[in-house]
Amino acid sequence: MRLFTNPVHALPLIFGLLIVVALLHLGFGAKPVALSTILQAFHSFDLQNFDHVIIRQMRVPRMIAAICVGAALSVAGALMQGVTRNPLADPGLLALMSGAAFGVVVGSSFLGIEADIWMPALAAAGALAAACLVTIIALFAPSGRSPAVLLLSGAAVSAFLNAMTSGINLLNEESFSTFRVWLSGAITTDALHMLPYAAPWLIGGLLLALGSARQVTALSMGHEAATGLGVNATSLSIRLLLCTVVLTASAVAMVGPLGFVGLVVPHATRLLVGSDYRWIIPCSALVGALFLLMVDLAARMVLAPVEIATGVVTTFLGAPLFVLLVRRVL
Amino acid sequence: MSKLIYRSKYGTISFSLERAVPLALVFLLVCLFVLFVLSLALGSYDLSLSHLWQALFAAPEGETSTTILWDLRLPRFLASLLVGMMLGLSGAILQGVTRNPLADPSLVGVSQGASLAVVALIVLWPSAPLHLRPIIGFAGALLAASLVQWIAAGKSSSASLRFILVGVGISATISACTNAILTYGQINHAAAALSWLAGSVHTASWGECLVLMFGLAVLSPCLVWAVRPLSGLRFGPELATGLGLHLKRDRSLLIALAVALAALAVSMTGPLGFIGLIAAQLVHRLLRVGTGSHLLLSALVGGVLVALADLVGRTALAPIQLPAGLISAAIGAPIFIALIFRNAGPKHL
Repeated sequence: MRLFTNPVHALPLIFGLLIVVALLHLGFGAKPVALSTILQAFHSFDLQNFDHVIIRQMRVPRMIAAICVGAALSVAGALMQGVTRNPLADPGLLALMSGAAFGVVVGSSFLGIEADIWMPALAAAGALAAACLVTIIALFAPSGRSPAVLLLSGAAVSAFLNAMTSGINLLNEESFSTFRVWLSGAITTDALHMLPYAAPWLIGGLLLALGSARQVTALSMGHEAATGLGVNATSLSIRLLLCTVVLTASAVAMVGPLGFVGLVVPHATRLLVGSDYRWIIPCSALVGALFLLMVDLAARMVLAPVEIATGVVTTFLGAPLFVLLVRRVL
Repeated sequence: MSKLIYRSKYGTISFSLERAVPLALVFLLVCLFVLFVLSLALGSYDLSLSHLWQALFAAPEGETSTTILWDLRLPRFLASLLVGMMLGLSGAILQGVTRNPLADPSLVGVSQGASLAVVALIVLWPSAPLHLRPIIGFAGALLAASLVQWIAAGKSSSASLRFILVGVGISATISACTNAILTYGQINHAAAALSWLAGSVHTASWGECLVLMFGLAVLSPCLVWAVRPLSGLRFGPELATGLGLHLKRDRSLLIALAVALAALAVSMTGPLGFIGLIAAQLVHRLLRVGTGSHLLLSALVGGVLVALADLVGRTALAPIQLPAGLISAAIGAPIFIALIFRNAGPKHL
């Protein structure tokens, strides 16, 4: 089932929506700003004008962070769903996010690494370790290829790593105060400080994902079919696993763990463009950016002037879909 | 197998005890006693055994050791014991009813439902009396549990894993609501709720202990009743019906009982993950015993586990106190993984 028989037709719709939502994202918030003022802030910036400062220094960074993170997590989710052939796969559910958060917290409180430049690397190391752990458990468990066992081992590893992370935070009050907001997954203005360091990882991961899109389609038909089509399934799986880890790590380094984005967006994208990963991957990136912009807008509008953490909103939207999928798959 | 039979004119009550049970009972009671002495003696202010003895039985007025013992350590130990017993019982009943070795109050939405209700109570009505918490918590937990049951019901082939996964999803949603309430609420109320959410017995006082004891006293007749339907359900729904159980009614009653036990425990000390799972499975793996003994032993093992987790949490890295919930999650998750290995055979999927 898909809405557009020719996926190209979906692109104008997605781009149009993306621009509209991006403008809304810039305009609304604790202080609404008119459209003309937004445009003015870009072409004739005035440091004395309060609205201009809000746009340039607070809203634009948030918008960029939301777009990058949305794209990274959605592509990571799409890759995972393709490779594991499991519609329930998601970087959060399979413990990659708790691993990344654990890596960052361990690195900064035990190893004393606090420079921003190392954060994505720490997150990647943690996410990779968690991913390997989950994979090993699933491989060695009887009938480990079933979606349920993979998810259960993800849930267990996640619970374990989260307990460890909060334990470290309890031992180390400094680390707790640094990471408290970050650990609940919040898009903030600070995210932009991390962007220059996370961007290489992000772009590398996205390019690798786009480059492998053809083979992912083959792999999503099953290992045998993929081998028959001339794809080395094992080496491709490992490459894509690394790609997922890198994308997740760059997103977590910027805004902390945001659950269920990687689950919701690829499913929505499949409704639009079908099951060809050459289209799913680029479109997921766009739809993910769109989704996270909307979530961020909602997070600061619903209970204004209080902001809800972005991670809360994504979970609130994503978890019901997860339950629905569990009902359908199992 | 030894049998105790009591006959009166109203009928016969008979207990049959496996030979392993008295041994296990004695072992657990010894463990508990050792933990009792250690919990009372160890801490940031070490008490020697003679001091301990004196403070416990003579209780001289105004001495530091008396205050520490009677106001801090004793209620704390008692609360952890009671909470552990309730979680162990709740886990054993849930595993029996759902015939699912992976069932645990914290995995099927019960703890989260109770947490949401209690956090809402703490944040929105901070002056609410203590005994209101279990009632509200029970309501929240029951709602969450019935939601999970209702959504997971359907195809029976893969009921066990489906139940857990639906529970994971619902738990995530409910936790998101709890977090939203925490951000929305006033900062000081939110901080109180947050420390409660970590799952710790460190604030336990006699008030909590009284509520817990009262709750356990009220629920224990139900536990005696629960033994019969639970042992019927062990053989599967068809045989249970054949044995004369009113399947639908008994199942819902048993789940309500498990939820009530877990909600009571959670509303006093916050969510402690995996205790019910470990306690019930440990007993099940080590001893092949009847349902009644299984419940009794699960309760004791749960009590030992929470008391141990609390003792380790507050002495291992003193003066920092790790909440018991954290220790239990760190120990429980690997055991959970081991159980997946054992149980994820083809027949379960």
